[in-house]
Amino acid sequence: MTTIRFYLPLFLSLVAWQAAVTAGLAPAEMVPAPLAVFEGLWRLLRGGELLRHVGVSMYRQLAGFMLAAVIGTALGIGMARLEGVRLVFEPLLKLLYPLPKSALIPLLILWFGIGHNSKIFAIFLGCLLPVVLSVYNGSRGIPRWLVWSAQSLGTRPYRLLWKVYFPATLPDLLSGLRIGLALSFTLLVSSEFLIARAGLGFLIQSVGEMGDYAAMFAAILVVALIGFAADRLFVRLMARALRWQEP
Amino acid sequence: MPHIEIVGITKVYEQPAAPPIVALDGVDLTVEHDQFVSLVGPSGCGKSTLLHLVGGFISPSTGEIRIDGRPVTGPGPDRGIVFQNFALFPWLTVRGNVEYGLAEKGIPRRERRKVAQHFIDMVKLTGFEEVYPHRLSGGMQQRVALARMLACDPQILLMDEPFGALDAQTRLILQEELKEIWRQARKTVLFVTHDVREAVFLSQRVVVMTARPGRIKEIVDTDLPADAPRLAVDALAEDIWATLREEVLKAVVPGDRREQAP
Amino acid sequence: MHATPVLRRALGLGVLKRWASVIALFALWEGVCRARLVDPFLLPALSEVLRRGAGELWSGELVAFTALTLYRTLAAFVLAGAIGIAIGVSMSLSAPLRWFGEPVVSFAFPIPKIALMPIFVLWFGVFDLSKIVMTTVAAVVTVISATHLGTRHIDKYLLWSAQSLGTHRRALFWKIVIPAALPAILTGLQIALPMCLIVSIVTEMITGGRGLGGYMIYASRFAESDKVFLGIFLTALIGYVLTEGLAMARRRLLAWHPEETVMV
Ligand SMILES: Nc1ncnc2c1ncn2[C@@H]1O[C@H](COP(=O)(O)OP(=O)(O)OP(=O)(O)O)[C@@H](O)[C@H]1O
Ligand SMILES: [Mg+2]
Repeated sequence: MTTIRFYLPLFLSLVAWQAAVTAGLAPAEMVPAPLAVFEGLWRLLRGGELLRHVGVSMYRQLAGFMLAAVIGTALGIGMARLEGVRLVFEPLLKLLYPLPKSALIPLLILWFGIGHNSKIFAIFLGCLLPVVLSVYNGSRGIPRWLVWSAQSLGTRPYRLLWKVYFPATLPDLLSGLRIGLALSFTLLVSSEFLIARAGLGFLIQSVGEMGDYAAMFAAILVVALIGFAADRLFVRLMARALRWQEP
Repeated sequence: MPHIEIVGITKVYEQPAAPPIVALDGVDLTVEHDQFVSLVGPSGCGKSTLLHLVGGFISPSTGEIRIDGRPVTGPGPDRGIVFQNFALFPWLTVRGNVEYGLAEKGIPRRERRKVAQHFIDMVKLTGFEEVYPHRLSGGMQQRVALARMLACDPQILLMDEPFGALDAQTRLILQEELKEIWRQARKTVLFVTHDVREAVFLSQRVVVMTARPGRIKEIVDTDLPADAPRLAVDALAEDIWATLREEVLKAVVPGDRREQAP
Repeated sequence: MHATPVLRRALGLGVLKRWASVIALFALWEGVCRARLVDPFLLPALSEVLRRGAGELWSGELVAFTALTLYRTLAAFVLAGAIGIAIGVSMSLSAPLRWFGEPVVSFAFPIPKIALMPIFVLWFGVFDLSKIVMTTVAAVVTVISATHLGTRHIDKYLLWSAQSLGTHRRALFWKIVIPAALPAILTGLQIALPMCLIVSIVTEMITGGRGLGGYMIYASRFAESDKVFLGIFLTALIGYVLTEGLAMARRRLLAWHPEETVMV
């Protein structure tokens, strides 16, 4: 209920937009009114086309994101704990850090072609850095007396990783993942705009090229809603996993 | 064979861009099995450092510490500790914290529950089992740390001002509890406190340390009979306080700032 | 053993060790290509890329492309910064603006704004304007939210002490609110700047044509991998210069801030 009230201005804007177009204040050609957009959405949904593209995009996003989460966490903790790992990867990350990740898309297209892999890789590489960096910084700052407590309570060295290092790093890991999550959708749509035969980015472009702007707006709306919903969901999970933290 | 042997211990903290700090300088101390020894001394004299050395968390610059004749090489569940800053696991509830050591020992769930509940009740935290540490007051956190250590049933108890954050009443109750546990379960205890009366009441020997660099100034035998009159406790405490007082006055040096470490 | 640090520094061995893995990676790259273990269409030798780079720079076209990308990125950054700070501060000052702005920002923050590009192309054509607008929109949300966050909860004791020292209510804004929010605002700008580069490169790729993004995507379509790598190097260089420049500005501006001395 409070959520609806909070987002009320957004709904009111939709109404104003509709009114403006109906009153002829904005050209319906260039700015399809909300009702037209919903009609376009219905058209895309009815044919089952939309769901297929959503499926393709979500597969790519999840694959790239999960890969980055797992490998990034391992790498981040490894760098904080093992001098050798840090020596090898720190300079590589420093090199990769200032590079705008979207600049890698042309190379990935060249290497992995038009299908899933070029997108999955772009997302993986883009999300990897924020995850590694936040895990690395987080697990370097673990108070030593937490480790001492665990040791004096009989925790074996190999279990320290799971019993202390992982939970103590979790807040940083999750905030790194949240940054990665937003980035993953940007990279997904960017790479699907550039070259693809399926996926939401492809759908937006193909209906746009046909001049069906209502459907184009609808597909963009779907992308926005998915990105938004994913973030909300993640924030929920995060709050749940970090109940133990001081607010 | 003595339980804990501290032989010629010196601890120097090297720090980047600052002169090294000599925290302990030639400390020798022997603690027999089942003995209760208290450490008193001015703030910053190295009491925590000594406890951390016996715990095996840090290593001495010179000298050696032996437990049952074997040199300490690292931490272990034979030596339980209550840190000065509690060091509870913030991601575990009160119950989770108290059960932690039992779980690491591989004790089955039901058994674990029972033991943990016993100690939670003992430190008067019944009803707070599912609460996370950040919701507890300092005194409550300190009691969780105490329960967490006791539940693990270590041979040696290292306690760094374990009652420091408690109100006077709880403090008295827990002193009695601790004395009872020590009497029944036969533990060796190394106990740091600022409260001389508490030291005299609980322990058999009180070690008075000098201002930094920490050395042992005097060891006082305080093994009073259980039914000793209050006056005897007070008189002994008075004596020790007189010795300690000089050191405390010496220790008040300006600019002695340090990390709020355990 | 104690003389070695001096010796090592003189020989630059410390630097060598610190960057060993990068050097190894580059050496591996060159070696693999020289040994013809990979298709040169997929991975040109590093030396090949550098040679190509020297040639292309000489021709001047690539310099023009780089300048164009830089112009679009910076134009969008300046716009996003000015608009974002203005909106963010206004939201903190006015309840109605907050009522409208907070849900908009909260919705716009996590969505992939690049998806709006086709709309801007529809409205503003395929040239500079659509790219700059797109990039500005993508970055402005971050600036608004950082500014709003920084100005919303100013320590009330700061305001009270300033007032009791004679600061007029209306001067509080410039004297207290902005300096107190500066770390948060700068953090927002530091996130926005690389974002501007990321997005403007993508917009160039999408619409094709001039600029580093267009250069790379064409090279990729014609399988000219050396050009693709050249583009990557140049964007990384721009990214490095821009973020370092802003970080330097931050250290200047925030010399008074206790956090800053620790963070370096
Ligand atoms: N990690 C450390 N690095 C540098 N110096 C330290 C460190 N830990 C302790 N010290 C120094 O060693 C000295 C002894 O510290 P310690 O914590 O053992 O004192 P303490 O007797 O426990 O004091 P208190 O009664 O205040 O707890 C102090 O002067 C402190 O500044
Ligand atoms: Mg201490």
